[in-house]
Amino acid sequence: MSTARPHHDHGLIRRLRDDEDETLQKPLEWGLIRRLFTYTAPIKGKVATLAILTLIRSAQLPALGWVMSLIIKGPITGRDFAGIAWGVAGYGLLALSTDFLFHFRQRYALEIGETVVNGLRADLFAKTQRQPMSFYHRVKIGRIIGRVTSDVESVRTGIQDVLFVSVIQFGSMVFSAAVMLWSDWVLFLVVLAMAPVLWLLNRHFRVKLSQHTRASQESFSRVTATLAESVGGIRVTQGFVRQETNAGLFRNLLFDHARYNIALARTSAILTPLLELNSQFFVATLLMFGGWRVFHGDMTMGGLITFFLLANQFFAPISIIGNQYNQALIAMAGAERVFRLIDLKPDWEDDPAATPLPANRGTGAKVEFRSVTFGYDPAKPVLHDVSFAVEPGQTVALVGHTGSGKSSIINLAAKFYLPTQGEVLVDGREIRAITSHSLHRQMGMVQQTNLLFTGTVLENIRLGRPEATEAEVREAARQLDCLDLLDALPQGFATEVGERGAGLSLGQRQLVCFTRALVADPRLVILDEATSSIDAITEARLQKALLALLRGRTSFVVAHRLSTIRHADLVLVLDQGRVIERGTHTQLLAQGGHYAGLYRQFVQMDETI
Amino acid sequence: MPDVRATTAPDSRASDNRMLVRRLFGLAWRYRLHCLQVLGIQLLLLALGIGGLSFTGLGIDYIRHRVDGTPLGNNQLHFTLPVERPPLEVLGLLAGLILLFALVRAVLNYTYAVSVNKLVQQKLVVDLRSEVYDKLQRLSFRFFDANNTGSIITRVTSDVQSVRMFVDQVLIQSVIMVISLTAYILYMTSLSPALTLACLATTPLLWLMSAAFSRRIQPAYDRNRTLVDRMVQILAESVSGAQVTKGFGREAEARARFDAANQACFDQQRDIFWRVSLFSPAVGFLTRINMMVLLGYGGWLVAHDQLPLGTGLVVFAGLLEQFSGQVNNVAAIVNSVQQSLIGARRVFEILDAPVEVKTAPDAIRRPKLTGAVRFENVSFAYAEAEAVVRNVDLDVKPGQCVAILGATGAGKSVLMSLIPRFFDPTAGRVLLDGHDVRRLDLDDVRRNIGIVFQESFLFSHTVAANIAFGHPEATQEQIERAAKIAAAHDFIMALPQGYETLLGEGAQTLSGGQRQRLAIARAVLLEPAIMLLDDPTAAIDSETEHEIFTALDRAIEGRTTFIVAHRLSTLRRADFILVMENGRIVQRGTHAELMRVPGPYLHVANLQLLDARDLQPVKSTEGPA
Repeated sequence: MSTARPHHDHGLIRRLRDDEDETLQKPLEWGLIRRLFTYTAPIKGKVATLAILTLIRSAQLPALGWVMSLIIKGPITGRDFAGIAWGVAGYGLLALSTDFLFHFRQRYALEIGETVVNGLRADLFAKTQRQPMSFYHRVKIGRIIGRVTSDVESVRTGIQDVLFVSVIQFGSMVFSAAVMLWSDWVLFLVVLAMAPVLWLLNRHFRVKLSQHTRASQESFSRVTATLAESVGGIRVTQGFVRQETNAGLFRNLLFDHARYNIALARTSAILTPLLELNSQFFVATLLMFGGWRVFHGDMTMGGLITFFLLANQFFAPISIIGNQYNQALIAMAGAERVFRLIDLKPDWEDDPAATPLPANRGTGAKVEFRSVTFGYDPAKPVLHDVSFAVEPGQTVALVGHTGSGKSSIINLAAKFYLPTQGEVLVDGREIRAITSHSLHRQMGMVQQTNLLFTGTVLENIRLGRPEATEAEVREAARQLDCLDLLDALPQGFATEVGERGAGLSLGQRQLVCFTRALVADPRLVILDEATSSIDAITEARLQKALLALLRGRTSFVVAHRLSTIRHADLVLVLDQGRVIERGTHTQLLAQGGHYAGLYRQFVQMDETI
Repeated sequence: MPDVRATTAPDSRASDNRMLVRRLFGLAWRYRLHCLQVLGIQLLLLALGIGGLSFTGLGIDYIRHRVDGTPLGNNQLHFTLPVERPPLEVLGLLAGLILLFALVRAVLNYTYAVSVNKLVQQKLVVDLRSEVYDKLQRLSFRFFDANNTGSIITRVTSDVQSVRMFVDQVLIQSVIMVISLTAYILYMTSLSPALTLACLATTPLLWLMSAAFSRRIQPAYDRNRTLVDRMVQILAESVSGAQVTKGFGREAEARARFDAANQACFDQQRDIFWRVSLFSPAVGFLTRINMMVLLGYGGWLVAHDQLPLGTGLVVFAGLLEQFSGQVNNVAAIVNSVQQSLIGARRVFEILDAPVEVKTAPDAIRRPKLTGAVRFENVSFAYAEAEAVVRNVDLDVKPGQCVAILGATGAGKSVLMSLIPRFFDPTAGRVLLDGHDVRRLDLDDVRRNIGIVFQESFLFSHTVAANIAFGHPEATQEQIERAAKIAAAHDFIMALPQGYETLLGEGAQTLSGGQRQRLAIARAVLLEPAIMLLDDPTAAIDSETEHEIFTALDRAIEGRTTFIVAHRLSTLRRADFILVMENGRIVQRGTHAELMRVPGPYLHVANLQLLDARDLQPVKSTEGPA
């Protein structure tokens, strides 16, 4: 064997590239724009008003420049003092009306943007929630958050700025062009000739800028990902004395990121001076060519001054509109992604003919699997022809290696997934004919690691049944023999649970989950490795209490404790998606087959005692 | 140990801010040459800008002079036009000068932008981030427990950006502003003191308005950020907790929760919109008042030939525009100051946090330890909290295996953390090979200890890189040997790219047992004298649990081992067992000894024996294994 080893220390982490579409820009699409505007329905009046305000404002801005040039070339050069006073008064009135309208134009645009954002978010949330579990197993959480934050934000910019700013700027261009054309069309043609140059220059650099921005963002995401793992793996780093090495690698990453940023800065550092150079070039031309025309009597002094003042009104919009256009393309890409998520067809939905499952409180549910075949990818089944029946109140223990199909059986019984072939029946009814919601309301579930929501312990427990009183919650905890343990938390049931259950130990979190499940008073209980992360001493207490939770309810249990399995009415031994043995614990041990073998190996340590 | 979350009393805020500002100045001083260079370029740009504007004015005046004979008068540039030359030549000269100035300005502008970015991106930010990162890695675990990941990442990313803003946005910008404003005022005054005064009369008002506005709007923006964060958090939770929400059929409640948070953002925004939409038109109108004054009063002066049209009025208008641009900067600078102070507080909090555990200056070097561990009356408490380890005495000979049993919070993990000095005891001492650990070189100590945690963190990297984490120069042979000891070689070879397979975030593609075996290989690779195993099977599902027992057995062979365990199978293997309760060792002895006395050990054992008794039929049918 060679001692040469591929170098794998380029960085602290190395990631596979995400290949999902994160395109920065998309061409304008009328359908998308129209659809975005359907979200403004609640404030239709304001949208209409804003459209009118925008048109007025697009005339007001260049009018201000024009009035100014009129004052200078008329009364000022003509030494007409009354004219100056009247002119200034007129200018003042125009200014006042302009800024008065500006208040409404700005506020309405902001409100419209926010309304669309608000509607999009609510829609996104509602639609993703309708998705079955397969969606949540497939889609990364970061993607969904990206839709609700950055994509929706780019749509906001698109709505509240791009459209209105572009119209106003375009209006300014047209108005000032008209005035210049009217006062001297020859000189205006010279001005016009420079417009395409400016537009192309702007486009070229905007495209380059967005490419550099992209590269810089990517290198920055490498920085943050490395940081996140450094924080998460701090114990490993300190324990293995890797601080120096990591710091060196991180510094390299920072230099790399700086390189992209400098490239970005260089590009924008060319664009801005070029735009300024262009306007100075224009001033020089105006001076030369305009002066020449004035000397030849082709043009008046006043006309030249009009050009000096209005030309800027004509040129400035070009780069502003270019910028806005860029923003619009970004907003389009964002909108496209948002709508794609909203429109994503769920893998399956409740049959419209499905009816609720009657809640026969106090009795367990009857669950039956009939020749069920199932695969998360239908082409690759993980369960093959599984059949079994559970009578109300019975406990089924699922036994088998990782990947043998235990979780799939649980997912099917809970209607998180639908079988590829065969039927699952609850209380004798095909599960497809039962609404998911009514089934879930009669279910209580505890997994190996459970998510707690930010909020108090009490709120988390009540998730199972929000109308439960505090007394009922305490009673449930008492039944589970963990009331003292929950009361012993810093603020008892009022203790705040932080991000992802922070502040509570793994075991304490699990106790909350058990209580949460019991408070829901379920007919069907699912315990998936529920006690694995509880320490041995607490677990000993909980064992007895669990029996109380299961009494009178149908339950599916995946557990490593024989004492739990021992009480099961039915043990299903699974191997590669098939039930290879079934029976009670005693029966199976007596058979001396796979189950007996598995457990001899599994609990071998205890047998010699 | 000081509290890692520094809290600042409001009354100390002022002096605290002064101290922060002083430190920020100190930071800028480190880059003083670069800062001066940047400022020099700005000064040149300013001069060229005013020059170009004046030439434009001169051109207008010259045309007017030629057309109606208005006297040219003196100009501030002390530049005498060659009026005797043909008029187009004069205009050409002026146009050429304007272009030349513009060209030089363009080059300088480019140099300025690149120079500032190099200072900021390549030096300041890289230096600061490296420094913070380096420090972070040396902080105690308590810091990481007390602060969530998001907040720590923010300190290295955006908080550092806020700090550097003090240099380029506050310091450099303030100097530029003061110089430019002075230059503009001086130039305008030289044209007409009275007009200058009249036009700038509204400036203080603008200044006050901006300051008041930014003071009022800032809390609203902060509040908005909090509301948005909350909305995103609720979203994140509902996505990762989808199974819980669905499992209990509580989709409607989840949606109501999100909608409420979403609506809260919306409602609060309306208030911001009102303020913004009052402020910007007001500022706009103020600048237009300036223009009215200029047109009215300036126009009157021009009409009286007291001010030239081009070098006077037009130049004035241009300068006024630049002036209000700089004045608007004030609000931005004020905001930057606030933001950089907030960022600086958070960054310095990390840079100043004491490194609690470090190598003593005259430390003893012991690259290879034998593994004798002794605890002498050791107690440990977190700052001002109740002790979590109390009066522990322990003597472990090289190669012995000690198992620790106890409930959550009994102090098992902390007791083990005292050996590699993740914490130092508050009383008593821990000895390795007869030396107080605090007297030994810290890196030597840790390199002699292999650790496997409850949930082992694997980095998003190749399998090989993860195994070689503690010793990046390890050869492929060493890596494979470690993997074989940890019973990981076979499953690694079955991966698509074997040892070069990239593990995703959290190595989710591997089973719990596989992850733990990689962690064991990582520890074994160092060939440590001491192994610390903190409940290594806790996060593994039961059917794969046995897979790692072989790995563990081989890994701990010949090494002093501390293992937190709950299963009799593991406990039984230990040379002796400690049972901990509330930081004290309440029972110690071998399995056989502890089984004879009533106590917590017997209680736990009985529960598991209940399981074992069920196996009796197996044994009776199959005979002893």
